[in-house]
Amino acid sequence: MASSSASKRLFKEYRGLASDPPEGIAAGPVTEDDMFLWEALIQGPEGTPFEGGIFPAELKFPKDYPLAPPSMRFLCDMWHPNVYPNGTVCISILHPPGDDPHQYEQASERWSPIQSVEKILISVMSMLAEPNDESPANVDAARMWRERRKEYERIVRENVKKGLGL
Amino acid sequence: MNSTYDIPDSTDWLKTSLSAFEPLEAALRCQVCKDFYDTPMITTCSHTFCSLCIRRCLASDGKCPICRSSDQADKLRKNGAVQEIVDSFQAARPAALKLAREDVALREEHGAPKRMLKRKLDDTDLEEAEEQRPKQSRRTRSQNRVQDSSPPRLEVIDLDEDYEDDNGLVKCPVCNIRMKEESIWSHLDKCDGQSKPSSGRNSRSRSTPSVTNLLQRTPEKEPASALARLPQLNYSLLKENALRKKLQDLGIPALGSKQLLIKRHVEWGNLWNSNCDSARPRTKRELLKDLDTWERSQGGGAPNPAAVVMKKDFDGNGWATSNKSQFDELIANARRKRTPVEKVEMKEDAVDKMETTAAETREFYDNSNLHNDLRRPSEGNEDALSIIREKADQANLDGLTSRSIVNLASRANAHVNTVDEDVFLDAPRDEFIGNSLDSPLHN
Ligand SMILES: [Zn+2]
Ligand SMILES: [Zn+2]
Ligand SMILES: [Zn+2]
Repeated sequence: MASSSASKRLFKEYRGLASDPPEGIAAGPVTEDDMFLWEALIQGPEGTPFEGGIFPAELKFPKDYPLAPPSMRFLCDMWHPNVYPNGTVCISILHPPGDDPHQYEQASERWSPIQSVEKILISVMSMLAEPNDESPANVDAARMWRERRKEYERIVRENVKKGLGL
Repeated sequence: MNSTYDIPDSTDWLKTSLSAFEPLEAALRCQVCKDFYDTPMITTCSHTFCSLCIRRCLASDGKCPICRSSDQADKLRKNGAVQEIVDSFQAARPAALKLAREDVALREEHGAPKRMLKRKLDDTDLEEAEEQRPKQSRRTRSQNRVQDSSPPRLEVIDLDEDYEDDNGLVKCPVCNIRMKEESIWSHLDKCDGQSKPSSGRNSRSRSTPSVTNLLQRTPEKEPASALARLPQLNYSLLKENALRKKLQDLGIPALGSKQLLIKRHVEWGNLWNSNCDSARPRTKRELLKDLDTWERSQGGGAPNPAAVVMKKDFDGNGWATSNKSQFDELIANARRKRTPVEKVEMKEDAVDKMETTAAETREFYDNSNLHNDLRRPSEGNEDALSIIREKADQANLDGLTSRSIVNLASRANAHVNTVDEDVFLDAPRDEFIGNSLDSPLHN
């Protein structure tokens, strides 16, 4: 069976990430039998309450990737304004233009076929450092981040510890 | 499985003496498929993509993937120069990469290069080029890193005797004029390369005739019988049966819902029209094979799990043996603690339904004998896997962290692979990471 253009492209990204991985990020298909389901690990950015944590997530790719973006979901507790309680990440790069709940966001920040797994993961890393609370996925986390920052950071740090099995 | 799984990548150059070829090769690749440009086309907004890639993008949302300008497929124009560059680069690539790799090996054996001036010259050239280059979005991380993390840059080009000094003089690499070593830097700032070339080794005097020769030798030939491009259809104005008839007339499968007929017709238009653009057009039978591949992944035969699963012999343990970094250790701990989760079978009726939809369409492709010459998926995959292993082993030797990816792959396998959404939400979280009290990250 000739492989679809989507799995070829995913394989190329996998290959590139393996030979030249960005700092603090590891990602690849769960099994090489199926290029459409990946798992990723993201290191918590330094100088943030996420520091020291390793956050696992899964990425699910559509069959017409890269025309459409993957979805991404954290597989650990993640208390963050832009992460739904079920772990699903909501940032502009994961939304195609026109399909973005964040109307104010520029099209250039959104998904396009030239974006990549690497760019998504780097965006998510910077999202951890700088939440966008204008259209939050987790309203409670957003309010806490805005109004009770200390408490927000305490929960995040607890999750980091829990994630490390402490 | 075709040979595309043995994927050359621009990062192949990173640890060679020609690390500056990494951005060069990246610039010769389409940003949509990440492969070398295949039949490059230029958009109205002056961006270049493979014909098939940009046709698919435009069919999907009518916009350039780079700048988001609206565009139409019939406004695309061939970018013949880029095609020629890509062809020449690909032809030169294997030998150049081999030399550049051997060069590094050789230098490692024999210590640092003797001619320090050459080193300085080369580095300065590159830095200047780097600064002069307009800020481009396609600059990759590795490009930015080239300067600090690549091994000592070793040149190939300026090792010939042209650079030998003559009475203490050195030759300007641009105009070939000899001068004192200390004056060359200020000269290089002003040199326009116009001074008379003293020998044919000057890069400008060398390249001009050869480009001309190349053009003369390989004039762009139009296909013998110029193929007619397929027009776009206004599907909303077409009744389902009229559309079905169109597909029949085109000689492609005419089964499925109207939705599927439209999708198939669009993809056939992309395949057909990009083939019309190509300097090396393929036969209709080959295009039908591509349509079949599309059909299996996105069309009527789409989510048949059996078509995706190839071979389950992936050896995660082999990759996990040499964990050193904290990152890897954490993952390894998680792996040990994992508890197998039973695979959730796909609901049977869903599978049945998909298979019935697919069956008749499949018949069309099978009757067309498209796949007589293709191996079964599992056979091809073994090659692919061994190549990946080899490359990753190499990467491991080089101290890269690629094994962590594989570790997490095998770890995650037990948890995520086929688990249903709802099951997932209820799963205890700490299962995923496991207990890693002995992790160095614990501090
Ligand atoms: Zn392309
Ligand atoms: Zn453009
Ligand atoms: Zn000069």
